[in-house]
Amino acid sequence: MKKIFEIALGILAAIGGFVDIGDIVFNVAAGAMFQYQLLWAVVIGVGAIITYSEMCGRVAVVSQRAAFDAVRERLGFGIGLLALVAGQLVNLLTLAAEIGGIALALQLLAGLPFRVLLVLAVVALGVVIWVLPFEWIERVFGYVGLTLLVFAVGAIKLHPDWGGVASGFVPHADTSDLAVYLFFVVGLIGAATVPYEVYFYSSGAIEERWTPKDLGTNKANAIIGYSLGGLLSFALMITAAELFYPRAISPETLGSVALGANVPLGEIGLLLAIIGILFAVGGAAIDTAFSGAYNVAQFFGWEWGKYRTAVEAPRFTLAWMVMLVLGFLIIVTGVDPIQVTEYSVIFSVVALPATYIPILLVANDRAYMGAYGNGRVANVFGIFYLVVILVVAVAAIPLMIVSNMGQG
Amino acid sequence: MSGPVDLALGILDHQLLDGEGRRCGNVDDLELGDVREGAPHVEAILVGAPAWRGRGLIGRLAAALARGRTVRVPWSEVEKLDSGVRLKNPAREYGLGGGDERARKLVAWIPGAGE
Repeated sequence: MKKIFEIALGILAAIGGFVDIGDIVFNVAAGAMFQYQLLWAVVIGVGAIITYSEMCGRVAVVSQRAAFDAVRERLGFGIGLLALVAGQLVNLLTLAAEIGGIALALQLLAGLPFRVLLVLAVVALGVVIWVLPFEWIERVFGYVGLTLLVFAVGAIKLHPDWGGVASGFVPHADTSDLAVYLFFVVGLIGAATVPYEVYFYSSGAIEERWTPKDLGTNKANAIIGYSLGGLLSFALMITAAELFYPRAISPETLGSVALGANVPLGEIGLLLAIIGILFAVGGAAIDTAFSGAYNVAQFFGWEWGKYRTAVEAPRFTLAWMVMLVLGFLIIVTGVDPIQVTEYSVIFSVVALPATYIPILLVANDRAYMGAYGNGRVANVFGIFYLVVILVVAVAAIPLMIVSNMGQG
Repeated sequence: MSGPVDLALGILDHQLLDGEGRRCGNVDDLELGDVREGAPHVEAILVGAPAWRGRGLIGRLAAALARGRTVRVPWSEVEKLDSGVRLKNPAREYGLGGGDERARKLVAWIPGAGE
């Protein structure tokens, strides 16, 4: 019974932890432009993140080595270092976008100047990371982020054309602008699979001191948690399809995203939506800052982990602090947070194979994994999604240019 | 780990853990002995920025940009090989973990840093 309860808690945290600023921006924009047509792309993205989270979680549990240990061991020092630099640039851009997202959400609650809210956001993040233990950080942000479920209620209350929704799960392109459509396919897959999720998930398994006994929990968290997180993405896309698509509006602010809960559910819907966005994006900001610190510590072999005190893992501690400060410095220059989000997602896709390939190799290494190596199912899915990600990674930048960043 | 170990895949670039189970660097390079005469064997583990010089073009570039010295840990100090390389004694006895020593001063003053 206690075990089931624990698994349920982990799954809840995974649902709330799945959605971040990239998912919000791309799902809402996709719904506004293509109605339900792109729901299938979310399914692909969710499938990829489930497959690789389960795999890297299992590698971490069995070998006590996290994502960037695998990257360096398999790619060697030189290529590994390039992967580190690329991964960190993407992490920083993502973190900057998330910090901007927090400030935008705060702005909907309190009418303070954007830059003041940015400072508030980054100080609050620093204090929360410093004070709260790892499990608390993950759970508080995951659970409160669950208020995003208000979008699922909103989606149903808006009475979508369910037949149309169903057809959105079958890939088809009913559009005159194929480049924009494909750009959004890349964006939706990229938003669901941002690399920090895998970095964070694998290190988190070690932070939580999982043992092979927890492999069931690992699988359940990845499969059920991310699938239900994917439901939130569907809900965001459907509300946008109902509200914005018929009026040919492209929602350019976080405020218009919140309309998806406000219109069908009134004031309380709006409030829950903003709180959900605030905590989901806040949690993602912390995950990203940590990912940056995990990656650099693992690459150079430093002691790391929130389960160590700051004194025990001082370079790791300095690393997440530096991440927060750099992320803040990027966004405080006045760049548009929504645009930073779009760039961060597109560049993440390009950097993704450098993480997925080493994980797949290590998960197949019997010397490393013993009896817990990849079975046939994990390999079939692993190779399928790797191919998908490689295609998407190669297509990302050309599509970004041809579609003028989805503007057509 | 039993049976033969692949030096490049099984040891190089792997995590070093000291006798207290603390992470204290990665295996940046290996020093081999008797390569020309007799049976080649691993003499020592090399850790630190200058050791990256032997790791290809990017390694040379990184070594030129980074500071630090090479720490040489004799192979006889290896207690056990699993997914990491476990050493017999605390890191400081080998001169490893110096970076953490220096960084500690920067965070130790903050309330709740754990000291």
